[in-house]
Amino acid sequence: MKKKGLLLTIMVLLTLALLAAGCGGEKDSKDTAASGSGGGDTIKIGFLGATTGDQADFGSKTLAGMKMAAEDLNKEGGVLGKKIEIVEEDHGSKLSEGVNVVQKLINRDKVVAIVGDPTTGITKAVAPIAESSHVVLLSAGAVGANVVNTEDGKLREYVYRNTLLDAVAAPAVVKYLAEELGWKKVAIVTTKDLDYSVGLTKIFKKALADNGIEVVTEETIMDKDRNFAATVTAIKPHQPDGIVFTGYYTAGGLFMKEVKKQGLDINMVGGDGLLGSTLWEMGGEAVNGSMVYCGFEADPSMAQGKTKDFIERYSEANNGEMPNMFVAQGYDAVMMLADAIKAANSDDPVKFKEEIKKLKNWQGVSGTITIRENHEPLKSPVYLLEVVEGENGQQFKVKAAIPVEG
Amino acid sequence: MFEQQIINGLTLGAVYALIALGYTMVYGIIQLINFAHGEIYMIGAFVGVMMVTILGQGFFVSIIAAMMVCMILGVLLERVAYRPLRKSTRLAALISAIGASIFLQNAMMLWKGPQPVGFPQVINDAIYHIGSVEVTKVQLIILATSAVLMAILNYIVKYVKIGKAMRAASQDYDTASLMGININRVISFTFAIGSALAAAGGVLVGIYFNTVEPLMGVMAGLKAFCAAVLGGIGSIPGAVLGGIFLGVAETIGIAAGFSTYKDAIAFSLLIIVLLFKPTGLLGKPIQRKV
Amino acid sequence: MSAFLESILDPYYIQVLTLLGVYIIAALGLNLITGVTGMFSFGHAAYFAVGAYGAAILTVKYQFPFYGALLAGGIMAALAAVIIGFPALRLTGDYLGIVTLGFGEIIRVVFLNLDITGGALGLAGIAKESSIVLVYTLVLVTIYVMYALQNSRFGRALVAIREDDIAAEAMGINISAYKIKAFAIGCFFAGVAGALYAHLLLFLNPTDFGFAKSFEFLCFVVLGGLGSIPGVILGTSVLTLAPEFLRSLSDYRMLIYGALMVLMMIFRPNGLLGGVDLQRLVFKNKYKSQAGRSTAAGG
Repeated sequence: MKKKGLLLTIMVLLTLALLAAGCGGEKDSKDTAASGSGGGDTIKIGFLGATTGDQADFGSKTLAGMKMAAEDLNKEGGVLGKKIEIVEEDHGSKLSEGVNVVQKLINRDKVVAIVGDPTTGITKAVAPIAESSHVVLLSAGAVGANVVNTEDGKLREYVYRNTLLDAVAAPAVVKYLAEELGWKKVAIVTTKDLDYSVGLTKIFKKALADNGIEVVTEETIMDKDRNFAATVTAIKPHQPDGIVFTGYYTAGGLFMKEVKKQGLDINMVGGDGLLGSTLWEMGGEAVNGSMVYCGFEADPSMAQGKTKDFIERYSEANNGEMPNMFVAQGYDAVMMLADAIKAANSDDPVKFKEEIKKLKNWQGVSGTITIRENHEPLKSPVYLLEVVEGENGQQFKVKAAIPVEG
Repeated sequence: MFEQQIINGLTLGAVYALIALGYTMVYGIIQLINFAHGEIYMIGAFVGVMMVTILGQGFFVSIIAAMMVCMILGVLLERVAYRPLRKSTRLAALISAIGASIFLQNAMMLWKGPQPVGFPQVINDAIYHIGSVEVTKVQLIILATSAVLMAILNYIVKYVKIGKAMRAASQDYDTASLMGININRVISFTFAIGSALAAAGGVLVGIYFNTVEPLMGVMAGLKAFCAAVLGGIGSIPGAVLGGIFLGVAETIGIAAGFSTYKDAIAFSLLIIVLLFKPTGLLGKPIQRKV
Repeated sequence: MSAFLESILDPYYIQVLTLLGVYIIAALGLNLITGVTGMFSFGHAAYFAVGAYGAAILTVKYQFPFYGALLAGGIMAALAAVIIGFPALRLTGDYLGIVTLGFGEIIRVVFLNLDITGGALGLAGIAKESSIVLVYTLVLVTIYVMYALQNSRFGRALVAIREDDIAAEAMGINISAYKIKAFAIGCFFAGVAGALYAHLLLFLNPTDFGFAKSFEFLCFVVLGGLGSIPGVILGTSVLTLAPEFLRSLSDYRMLIYGALMVLMMIFRPNGLLGGVDLQRLVFKNKYKSQAGRSTAAGG
């Protein structure tokens, strides 16, 4: 028994030594970080997202948009005379590391706001931390329920998002499909492992039923699937008028390629998860005619002002690649925060969060945003875009602008 | 429609089989689950894309180049990450393999970015009708290329000296080395061949799915490993049989409406087979000396 | 105690260290299965997930008290282990490994498709219950139980099975019964750790419990030193804290992490503390004669 007791003591000591080593090692970097913000010449905004792992594509795009916004702001002398600094941290697409990252950003880097995560899941997981630490969390991608409010419906004071609210946009688009395009029966394809897609499918199904469009078959895929031969072969005998695809652009483009390859002459419609030039990089000619709805005119020929300038500059810096919704929302998130900080004349989250609540008809590159009383964003009008063959290859063209109201 | 799904499944299965061969050969000789094999397949696919987009080469040159690059990479991988651990426990070698796999994935992600890259069209696709079944040209090319590569492998293993040495080493490692077989050479050669086949699989998949990405090797590698175990690990015909079996089963599963359970289908099949035939379909029973 | 720790450590350290504690409990469970008994298990994350989801569903949807749910999470994981173990444990070596990996993936896919788990939408609204004090208290309990087990008749039987199962059977050990028991106990701790994890992160998502996490647990155990309790704790600490320490390398972080794993295995193939007998190091004098004898025999 004595032996065991001693062993236990050793174990405890060993663990404690490790903990001490851990804390000691990290204290140094903490000091330098603190002195950075203590100087008061920068405003730190944290990036929460993945640059490695499964969700790296979404995270790195959001980050690209954020960096572009910070550059633009700093070129004009920053905000309140201070430079905007983006503190990037990668959570490797892991939930547990996402929580670590938020704690680090808040407690060590002393950020005033965090932009992220592109997925609803991690945003939901970290929202209570931001709320209790009084740091603004602005998600540039979370679309699911219970993000800006708790599970029991209580509004969060520090958590916002700037995404397009599908619950409002999708029904408007479905109405258009039924009335203008005369669709009567559709196939729904859900990406089962994406919270975005599962949520959007629910909204679409209700809207389709309300507008008298029949769902002839429901198929499910996974976001990392690249082979859709079997799924498309299963859809084929149902002969739908179109496909409602609720997933992201990579799978969407490849899915359409397979659809056309198997000789089905129908188009797909989907949410802003499909928005991006990746859609035709993957799908080629097969995505011509595919429709995507989003909150801004992602059509280089029609876009004006800010949006046009944003699209052009991003394409120039990225070999002609069009900014997708993650880039646009990442850009807008930083800009929204900057405007709120300016309006409050303070970079104290307690003060400038009040200004975020007041944003009305705020002109961003991803649309005109109004934060409603329930803290949810509203983007109106919703643009239905179509992929067409343009002068410089494929591009989106505005097919319809549908006004929506919450 | 059923026949159509069989064709889809066969094509997928042929690719699983190409990757599974690398697992099975390596396992046959050094009893190592080479978890970085999926990454070799991924790198092969990327080399293929680069040959087409940067150097403007056609299908044939691209696939050969990818195979050559991965051969070297495979041999290098074995030298660096596995050879120093040959006398260690199998779990140690396994962890080293997982480490190598994480390293290669992230190296590619740093270089090419995390987003998927489209595979340019190198083959003008066409559809042929055989009875009620439609076969695309790409599917035919995948089936034909896989068949040719497997025939070459079969020839090497059966009739070429180094191939015979491989078989000897896989039967009895120690005796083979006592008989004057240079085990290190045999192992290097095994990695080279296995990696070349995986690279070919990578390029074929890139063409078939129109896309390559840094994490494509993870699930494909795992499934191919399943195929190898299913067929009887260490057995070359077993890997081919396992790959095709898995490809067809998975496709039929999706067609029957179980697409979200797709990843579970491969493993369920594997478990069922192993419970009844603990060494796989064509595996030899394990003989234990007491 | 909690308040005291919170006053000296900032929430970031508390978060990282609490998570480390949770992983230590799960890794010690796996150590009993793989390190002590020698059964390959490549699907430990699945039992972790069963515990996490089981406990979280109980507290969120059925208003179960937390401590009850914690225990229930462990029991559910152990039950899952028994159900899976009965057919699977007839296999040995890599075959057992691959079958456990398969079961792990199947459990993840099932969680993705069930309604009660929320599927891809995840399970939210879990209350924060796992404090650093509670987690480390349970770590100590786990360490104590593991030592007690390893030094009991039961533990010695498990080691005998690892070293030579045929000889062990000949000595009258009912190997399948022992294997199932060891598997269930190991998974029980994974389940308890999972329940703590759920009440620490407050949100669960099936993609978080894939085979990558299973391999992570396996790495904790192998890298620390199979069968060595201090080794497992060290291995878990190194591998859990490394990604946090490597943050300054930003994009190169995971690249270095992978390379580190290969290098550590090459230089310490038996794990960081594999082959190091702490007991012997500390009680040098007492064991001197025995130690001398065993080296002589070994040489």
